[in-house]
Amino acid sequence: MLHRLNPSLKLAGLIIITTAILIYPSWRFSGLLLLLTIFGFKASNVPLDVSKRRIRFLMTFSALLFAFQVLMTVNGTILFFVIPKYDFMGPFLPVTDFGIEKGFEMSLRFLLVVFSSMLFVSVTDPTLLAHSLTRLRIPYRYSFALVIALRFLPLFDIENKTVRMAQRSRGISTSVRGMSKILRTIRYTFFPLLVSALSRVDALSLSMDGRGFGHSRTRTYLRKSSWTAIDSSVLVLLSMLLLASILLALGFLPQISAII
Amino acid sequence: MLEVHDVSFSYDNENMILDSVNLQIRRGEITVITGPTGSGKSTLALVLAGFIPRVIEGTFTGSLLIDDENVEKELISGIAHKVALVQQDPESQISTLLVSDEVAFGPENYSVVPFEIRKRVEVALNAVESSHLANRPTYALSGGEKQRVAIASMLAGKPDFLLLDEPSASLDPKGIQQLQKTLLGLKNSGYGILCIEHRLETILPIADRVLQLSKGKISKWSGKTSSARTTPVERFRLPDSAKPLLVAKGASYSYGTINAVRDVTLSVYPGEIVALMGDNGSGKSTLISLLAGLLHSTGGTTYIDCVPSTEMTAQDVAARVAVVFQNPNHQIFERTVQREQYLVFDVLDSLDEVPSERPEGVLLAAGLANLKERNPFSLSHGQKRRLNVSSVTVHEPLVYLFDEPFIGQDEIGRNFITQSIRKRGESGGAAILVTHDSAVATTLCNRIIFMERGSVLLDGSPKIVLDRLGEIGYGEYADFGAMS
Repeated sequence: MLHRLNPSLKLAGLIIITTAILIYPSWRFSGLLLLLTIFGFKASNVPLDVSKRRIRFLMTFSALLFAFQVLMTVNGTILFFVIPKYDFMGPFLPVTDFGIEKGFEMSLRFLLVVFSSMLFVSVTDPTLLAHSLTRLRIPYRYSFALVIALRFLPLFDIENKTVRMAQRSRGISTSVRGMSKILRTIRYTFFPLLVSALSRVDALSLSMDGRGFGHSRTRTYLRKSSWTAIDSSVLVLLSMLLLASILLALGFLPQISAII
Repeated sequence: MLEVHDVSFSYDNENMILDSVNLQIRRGEITVITGPTGSGKSTLALVLAGFIPRVIEGTFTGSLLIDDENVEKELISGIAHKVALVQQDPESQISTLLVSDEVAFGPENYSVVPFEIRKRVEVALNAVESSHLANRPTYALSGGEKQRVAIASMLAGKPDFLLLDEPSASLDPKGIQQLQKTLLGLKNSGYGILCIEHRLETILPIADRVLQLSKGKISKWSGKTSSARTTPVERFRLPDSAKPLLVAKGASYSYGTINAVRDVTLSVYPGEIVALMGDNGSGKSTLISLLAGLLHSTGGTTYIDCVPSTEMTAQDVAARVAVVFQNPNHQIFERTVQREQYLVFDVLDSLDEVPSERPEGVLLAAGLANLKERNPFSLSHGQKRRLNVSSVTVHEPLVYLFDEPFIGQDEIGRNFITQSIRKRGESGGAAILVTHDSAVATTLCNRIIFMERGSVLLDGSPKIVLDRLGEIGYGEYADFGAMS
């Protein structure tokens, strides 16, 4: 369903959602938007497979963010202690209601930003995005930077896997053995990928120059994005969302901010 | 006619890459330029396509003429209208996600009207027999398909001259035949074509003239292929009682819904040097990863030195198996050549037991001894490849698994890699190398395993397998071997 929306609108939507939760950082608000995002995945038939390693990693990371916030926030009403009082020791590590709220706020916001970006990438055709951005008078040189970034994403994914395989074949295991080993593994992954990416830059820029990229200020497009009535109504909804977040943050909607 | 007059070029003002070169490329003709790595072939192509001196810096003298007109003052986009360059690596040249977008990219930049662009996309894809690819995502294409799309995307700009830099480098024999057909078709419709080619035998049958570039000078090709082939090896296989070094029992692997390897059963014994052959996408690289214990078989088991690879740690595997992957940049990790060479000992915690002369000896053989303090990423492609081989074999593991090790290698590189493989076989180890070159298979290897759609189709001594391939419709594999 989201596939058919105007690409620039989708980009605007992504920006508005991430700004809205920065303006009004309530965990209920983030949760609501996250539910909407997950609904977006379902509605556009983009699989959100929890068994996939990447999704699992994101969930684990957000759980860690939650735990970290909860343990680090000491103010608020104490609900219980992680390490209870024992004899004369303790109690240690209080868990407070404010801490839990903070934890939800961080972890939900993290998931929202990551998932909505993932959704955006999966439902947006980069070539149409470039066209629709040009319509907004953005020079095509810039909009094509986006197209190329999106074009090379799948390639980097494959290359990352190859580099990890090459590491394993050399006996470099990714198991966590001390900080220096972790740093080493990061270096061993980062440099090969960076060099491989840079080595592609020359070939790519020659190939674009060689096909007249930048020949004149405008260019034509074989496939064009369109703007429909649905796009207009979604834009209105998104603007209302942004406005609502501002009003909520300023305290103009006390009845609603009491709920979310 | 496209021509260069008295062209000299140097990147650093010291080493002359091209030295007073004169060359003419006529319409309706296929010109081939060959020469050793580093002889300036690609640089010459960059001059012909106008990138030197417009985009790439260096000291340039001489002139470029298109149809007797000096184009000194033209912008790159003006020259690109007439001369198109297809570079070596098709992957890096593709700038969009959809094949038809990619082919439309050029005409769009020249503000051609959409109606006309649609026609051009159709015609260009047709010319490379790839109309069926129009709606496919570019990242999901095979190597040969990517290359045809890269050619089509240049044709869509309606140039008069087409320059191709090592177009056959990563193609299987079928892909090469298709490329020959495509180029012949283009020649007959009036294009002037220049091919830069290392593997001369792949393009020789369709060439109208062959030139040689060496030490910056162009001369007529002397008529013999540079790589002096050695005599075929005997089958130095040990007695049958020997234990297999690698075993796959019903090994399978799939990426999503695509079954890359299906139910492969094979054993590799000491002394065997196996050529793993098959069309692009037949599962050769995946099988290598399975045998190396880097991927875990989704059905069946693989054994390394009689131990199931699932029960081995990364270190256990690295101590026994050396793997060289296709792209050299993906397998260099350290900051100097020296450290890269010692990395495996560090990882295996055996720095104290390094056999004193071995690491230096291998670097010397690889021709890298005087580059020890260099950053390996700054080496040339050929040197990187030799470092890959040298750094994974320095501790003399039992089995070598090399994925297309000879691509882009000149004579020094070929000799070094051939020698390391041969020695491993003679000293009781084994090697498997993925290759499309049946000449390599017959001279270096004593066994060919031929794969088709993820399964082993043929397995046996090189001569028998190649003969059989000819009978069952894979004649092109045998042909290219005979040619060289």
